[in-house]
Amino acid sequence: MIKLIGAALVLFAGTMLGYLQAARFAERPKQIRHLLHALQRLETEIGYGQTPLPEALARMAGVLPETLAVLFRRIADELRSSSGETVKNAWERILSEGWPTTAMKAGEKEAMLRLGSSLGGSGRDDQLKHVRLAVLQLQAEETSAREDQMKYERLSRSLGVLGAALVVILMM
Amino acid sequence: MLPAWLAIFPPSLRTPLSKLPVSVIESLEEVRIREARPLEISYGGRFAFLTPDGSLTGEHEAGYRPNREDCRAFLEKLTDHSLYAVEEELRRGYVTVAGGHRVGLAGRTVLDGGHVRHLRDVAAFNVRIARARIGSAASVLPELLDPIARTIRHTLLVSPPQQGKTTLLRDLARAISAGEWNHPSARGWRGRKVGIVDERSEIAACERGVPTFDLGPRTDVLDACPKAEGMMMLVRSMSPEVVAVDEIGRPEDAEALREALHAGVRVLATAHASDLADVFERPVLSSLAREGMFGAYVLLSRSGSEVRHRVIGSREAEEEGLRRRRGSWNGVPRDAPRPELRSPPGDRDPGADRPEGTPGLAIKARALPLIRSPASREGGEAP
Repeated sequence: MIKLIGAALVLFAGTMLGYLQAARFAERPKQIRHLLHALQRLETEIGYGQTPLPEALARMAGVLPETLAVLFRRIADELRSSSGETVKNAWERILSEGWPTTAMKAGEKEAMLRLGSSLGGSGRDDQLKHVRLAVLQLQAEETSAREDQMKYERLSRSLGVLGAALVVILMM
Repeated sequence: MLPAWLAIFPPSLRTPLSKLPVSVIESLEEVRIREARPLEISYGGRFAFLTPDGSLTGEHEAGYRPNREDCRAFLEKLTDHSLYAVEEELRRGYVTVAGGHRVGLAGRTVLDGGHVRHLRDVAAFNVRIARARIGSAASVLPELLDPIARTIRHTLLVSPPQQGKTTLLRDLARAISAGEWNHPSARGWRGRKVGIVDERSEIAACERGVPTFDLGPRTDVLDACPKAEGMMMLVRSMSPEVVAVDEIGRPEDAEALREALHAGVRVLATAHASDLADVFERPVLSSLAREGMFGAYVLLSRSGSEVRHRVIGSREAEEEGLRRRRGSWNGVPRDAPRPELRSPPGDRDPGADRPEGTPGLAIKARALPLIRSPASREGGEAP
């Protein structure tokens, strides 16, 4: 009897692990897409509104889902405070801290960090170039993320169930 | 209670500055930051270098030297982390931060077709602390009145840089708009509508369009607007009775001034010049002055923290300006080193470091006439 309950638990846990992994694969392209929209917003703020960066980042956070918005809001708050931290440092620190909470991987992070190192530090045309470069990089990442999703989403789901089944069989 | 402007400095610079004695903070005029060179402040007409622990010294070797990182962080904070939003200001070499403090910048310019397009590698900053001196106009205003029109005459405030032109202009605008004429015959006059064209955001220090300095109840401010265009905009749309502008000197300014002068609007303007002879030698100013545009000239000079002024009528001014050819140039900067300057900041007696006979003043060395105003306070310092 206890054996059966144990087997059921293992099966359940394995399935959940698989689903979680699959959800991460599904979430990644979605988050990248959100980020792309937000960068377009940033482009407008810089290009037409000439909005100061803290304000622009806060507005950018407005179009993002909460998991990502938190990061940019934190950067905006940091820049408004009197800590004297540069954009580059604040951006790097806060994004690196918060990245594990998102579903995104190293490629996107690198593109964003590169954007942060030049944000606010040059004239308008140059800023727009940097934002567009980041958009291009993110688009490339998005394509690969979608491919990954197609390949691995269902795979990881079934892998979870089957792996758990294997453990159960070995235990029996 | 530390002043709000300290927040614009990065921590490494804020620490020594926040340790300054209160008397120095209160009379602080400039903070000069130069990369890899000692941090300098000027206060109450003197200057000194600042050591890392916040004490003042006359020896530049002991001064704190801001590094590249400090300067970068400072520039970022000044521009609100958005160089792209202040390109126009960078081209002109200054930015104005919240509170109306102007920060002059020097670095390497980037040219485009012979014109300055951009400033990069900014390595020197001059933070000019703006202050409202409520009441500083009280002794000047009575001499500028035009009793028939019940308003002021067209007035030009003249002085070399850093003598308090903008501060006086700000308080004149406030007094006119509030109707504080400070003259017995003007008791029944009410305030006048004042329009200010604040090209550098220095006079009013607007934040989101609202002035942060007290400019009186009947004042409209056109923020960050070029003077020539702004004057015409105000005259056309806001029906001002007095228009105040800072630092005229370009040909288009003169054109707009003429327009305004003939539109029935009184003009209150400032100009950089060390004396009246200078006014009559600067091309734009001299053409205006020779046409008799201004009804009164106010010459400002100060020693230490004391501001003096002298009001001259237009005819008198013309005679004086044309009569005197300039012998030798003696417009010594106010805080130029003087032999006895090495005094520590502790003994701040305003009279102590003022040398007799050789004031580093705007007006050439000769006795200033006493000011004949009802306030009868010789000096014109804020009460």
